[in-house]
Amino acid sequence: MDGNDHSIVRAVLAGDKDAYGALVRAHSATVFRVAFRIAGNEADAEEIVQETFLRGYQRLTSFEGRAQFSTWIYRIAVNCALNRATRSGVKAEYRYGEENNPEQKIVQVAASAADPERELLSREIGAAQAQAMQRLTPTERTAFILRHAEDRSTEEIAAVLGIAPNAAKQAVFRAVQKLRRELAPLRGNA
Amino acid sequence: MKHLGEEDLIALYYGEPATDSDARRHLGLCRACPAAYAELKQDLEGIQPAAVPQRGAEYGEQVWQALAPALTPYDRPEHGWRTWMHWRPVGLAAACALLVALAFVGGRVWERHTKTDKVAGNAGPQATQRVVLVVLTDHLDRTERLLVALQHADAGDDAENSELQSQARELLASNRLYRASASEAGDPALAGALDRVERVLAEVANDPSLSAADLDRVRKEMNTEGILFEIRVLLSKAPDRATVADHAKGASI
Repeated sequence: MDGNDHSIVRAVLAGDKDAYGALVRAHSATVFRVAFRIAGNEADAEEIVQETFLRGYQRLTSFEGRAQFSTWIYRIAVNCALNRATRSGVKAEYRYGEENNPEQKIVQVAASAADPERELLSREIGAAQAQAMQRLTPTERTAFILRHAEDRSTEEIAAVLGIAPNAAKQAVFRAVQKLRRELAPLRGNA
Repeated sequence: MKHLGEEDLIALYYGEPATDSDARRHLGLCRACPAAYAELKQDLEGIQPAAVPQRGAEYGEQVWQALAPALTPYDRPEHGWRTWMHWRPVGLAAACALLVALAFVGGRVWERHTKTDKVAGNAGPQATQRVVLVVLTDHLDRTERLLVALQHADAGDDAENSELQSQARELLASNRLYRASASEAGDPALAGALDRVERVLAEVANDPSLSAADLDRVRKEMNTEGILFEIRVLLSKAPDRATVADHAKGASI
């Protein structure tokens, strides 16, 4: 796909605007996934997807053929999400565990009807995890999400956030340490 | 036998290549560390990322339909005489610049032939070092001022905090260059100090609100006072320390 992506980029830069549609169609799902994980809700994630591809189009001349388009647009998406969180000052609504997906929630209610205590406990754990995530700084939170949920390497996180690899590693460490400290009281219950 | 710290265990959990083999070997030999690792593993496995809502196959098309009207096509590259007419002023300017550069280089070569070795040998490197030293010292000065401001920042003063964040953003970019140059030049002390500075700058620059609690946290967790001390030590040594100048060379040229 990426060799093809490069030829599409060349076509767009040569004036074929519609060719960009192929890139949008191919990478929208990935961009939405990371945007949702950082923003924590669908509405913001949708806007981040739009903003990402708009910025991508506007900066297409700076896209270097050595990089993969998927990596390049992913980096723009993370920065859009991070800027949005920083700009608005609004804390993202992180939802963890069983509370995050309406469909999953329905299944969970049906399956755990026989064990209401367990359901209550998992709700409490989900809420505590969400609260602990809120307490991280934007850099720590994003670095942790990229490492833990997106399975990105330290080097990739550093490149995406524009910081040194060691700083990226430390951001993940601090995030894990804080989360463990915050969630320690629940340890026996999980 | 030295036990694995929490950072080592976290690195091991996420499969950091630098620690992987040594840490695994230690886990096989130690009695205490496997328990700590099991606890960390349980904690991290308990943190399940949010399930991402599914998007259908038509999602990409929907995004494109919403986006397309906002995009302006890039200009098509021109061909033939129109291209030449368009680029002619640039070509002429480039030709003039090339002539000037050739004249300059020719002059320098001629000068080198005619000057004595003594004069030519001493002036160049020293002058470069002085310029480089001034550039790095200026960066360290500005960093010191920012750290002092951070130490005394008042969370209620929005204007001051906004200024602090904007300075942090500016310094962050130049700090990366100096840190990379120091690493490449093999000066771990300078690179380490700049790395610690970079973390503080990144936190301050990216914090959405910079509340009293945030300021307090940055000061405590990142030991800004200690970093400030390091910067002052570096500044006090800078005039006598030729290596500082040497390592900054890459960033300043």
